[in-house]
Amino acid sequence: MNALILATDNVNVAQNVAFGIIAAVMIFAALSVVTTKNVVHAALWLVMVLAGVAAQYVLAAAEFVAVSQVLVYIGAVMVLFLFGIMLTRAQIGKETGLNNKGWALGIPVALVLFGLLAWVIVDAFGDDVLPDRGPAPTVMLSDQFLSIYLLPFIAISFVLLAAAIGAIVLARKD
Amino acid sequence: MLALDPILEGPLLWTPLFIIIGKVLFIFVVGLVATMFMVWYERKVVSGMQNRIGPNKAGPFGMLQTLADGIKSFFKEDLLPTRADRIVFRLAPFLAFVPAFLLWAVIPLGGDFSNGNDGTVTWFGHVTRVQLADPPVGILWVLAMSSIGVYGIMLAGWSSGSKYPLLGSVRASAQMISYEAALGLSLAAVLLSSGTLSTAGIVAGQNSLVDWNVISTGIVPFVIFLIAVTAELNRPPFDLVEAEQELVGGFNTEYSGIRFALFFLSEFMNVVTMSAIMVTLFLGGPQPLFDIPVIPGALEGTIWFLVKLFAFLYLFVWLRATLPRLRYDQLMDLGWKVLIPISLGWFLLLAALREFSPDGDAAESLRVVVISFVVAVIATGLFAAALKVSARNRAAANQPADNTGVTV
Amino acid sequence: MSQYLPIVVLFILAVLFGVLSFAASRLLAPRRPSIAKEAPYECGIVPSREPPERFPVSFYIVAMLFIMFDIEIIFLYPYAVSHTALGTYGFLAILAFSVVFFATFVYEVARGGLDWGPLQRGRTFTVDAAMVSPERTMTSTIRRVGTDGRLPAPGTEEAA
Repeated sequence: MNALILATDNVNVAQNVAFGIIAAVMIFAALSVVTTKNVVHAALWLVMVLAGVAAQYVLAAAEFVAVSQVLVYIGAVMVLFLFGIMLTRAQIGKETGLNNKGWALGIPVALVLFGLLAWVIVDAFGDDVLPDRGPAPTVMLSDQFLSIYLLPFIAISFVLLAAAIGAIVLARKD
Repeated sequence: MLALDPILEGPLLWTPLFIIIGKVLFIFVVGLVATMFMVWYERKVVSGMQNRIGPNKAGPFGMLQTLADGIKSFFKEDLLPTRADRIVFRLAPFLAFVPAFLLWAVIPLGGDFSNGNDGTVTWFGHVTRVQLADPPVGILWVLAMSSIGVYGIMLAGWSSGSKYPLLGSVRASAQMISYEAALGLSLAAVLLSSGTLSTAGIVAGQNSLVDWNVISTGIVPFVIFLIAVTAELNRPPFDLVEAEQELVGGFNTEYSGIRFALFFLSEFMNVVTMSAIMVTLFLGGPQPLFDIPVIPGALEGTIWFLVKLFAFLYLFVWLRATLPRLRYDQLMDLGWKVLIPISLGWFLLLAALREFSPDGDAAESLRVVVISFVVAVIATGLFAAALKVSARNRAAANQPADNTGVTV
Repeated sequence: MSQYLPIVVLFILAVLFGVLSFAASRLLAPRRPSIAKEAPYECGIVPSREPPERFPVSFYIVAMLFIMFDIEIIFLYPYAVSHTALGTYGFLAILAFSVVFFATFVYEVARGGLDWGPLQRGRTFTVDAAMVSPERTMTSTIRRVGTDGRLPAPGTEEAA
């Protein structure tokens, strides 16, 4: 019994159950991001969504990507978000006027985006089974981005350069 | 596969499950006891250094003082300030201490690493490691947890709805993320020599004293890591977060009772876990320096681990008793303009050495070092020029903008 | 994946510990809130200024720079772990990446993105007028909290 539930070698029951739970939590958190009346709470719900993504990566055996997700998105990007919110409008409590008149327009846009992404993913992978990873996925990762994806990798450094220049230009105008 | 805990391979049966639950409970208790001990130890050592007696009433040598304080905090009124954000205010202590607990999971606390053994032990007929879990990305787990720990402090300060906590938490989070960059870069140098992200693998790679990463990476990453960890922990001399003279108590000013106790707990637990991480990364974790006779290998690992851990705990207390607090601009300058460039440069130097002189051939190594030195001089020149430009701009901006104002 | 099972168990245990601590404290601790206790801590001084509306922009810049460094670090790790397998080519790629990155960093420093400490700008007295006004006396700036919310000291009841 125990062996059946917890075995992850070939039976994917536990994995699927975990996927479902995490996905449900993520959807709830995502809805809360847009419905909550407090900007900081919205940011925290977003953190929850991003953490859910990281958990899904772990389930898919992409641990390094999961950790990158936590380090970059939760540890850096969301900290910047929260800095931005906390330091400019530090009021606590419910806020009004967070929605503007066009908010209803967001719903069809979100649905279309979801449909598009779902279609792309199903079209690309369909019923593919997750491949069994070799002994060292991290090695594979570096092998990939330093060979096939070298150009995007180097391009990233220039994107970062552009971002830094942008940050300075925006920030120094006080 | 070295990087995985063998007990978790294959189908889980009752015995391994009990071993896991036993390990979890054990780690949990160890975490609490170690933290309580650390609080007492810090107070006792500091009082010794300051020629005082320190806690001496509760239990032998006052060792139960922390326990008494902890129990007391349960009986203290737990205030919720009127201007606080009630949900986040309650959530923040969890965000601080849960990551602190989870850090224990990847630390190798012992095991038989002597004579090149791989550190596994056999319990009830099952081969396992003396560490809770050994995920393939173990050491990054540490970084991930410490980046989540930032949230506890940041949100505690913001949700209090009071100005000193807010100031303290903004300072703290900026400081923590700054030094996390230096921490991450100096960690890269360790990974270069260990070739794995698993903590057990990193320990297994440090077989003899010369293989200890503190030596094989050339001490610089170790020093940077130590400084960065001290800042990451908000310990003196980097404790601007709770600079009493300016900020009352820092981010936890509005916290009282058990909520404050949990922040306190996580703070001291982080000291212990981060010391353990440094032992793992640089001093070979449970790797023995020499074989202790009589004691079996598995226990020996734990003894060595504790000896090394104590060295760091003492060092942290010593730093606190010795060094005065930095100013905030000095703190940021040290982190960004000194530690980060040096750790990046050192990483590239080590990578070049390993690339172009893999056997440690003297002539080849010398060539790499000379070239690296030239590159470093150019880079330093560039950096110095940048500093000069920024200083000049700043001096220009320092001229009073309008003459109507009185310079205060 | 099952490597993470113990971590999940530890996580649950840690959360449980926190929840139980709060519950125990709720049962054991007294609850005597008063206005003075729940007001923001100000050392007994009546607050004359709200916390600043905007913080120095340097904090944002630090956070933005940190994102860049995080990305750089995330790319360094896979290289560091598998550098032997990648060879000279990998080293050159990582070197090129680091050089561009270092240039970015130098630019940031040169533009004063990492300067801290206050600029000594001219300040007008009107801003600080409220702080030096004769209205600010001992009675107006210190909060008298009285003894509300406190237990009467033993022996005071007869006196009162």
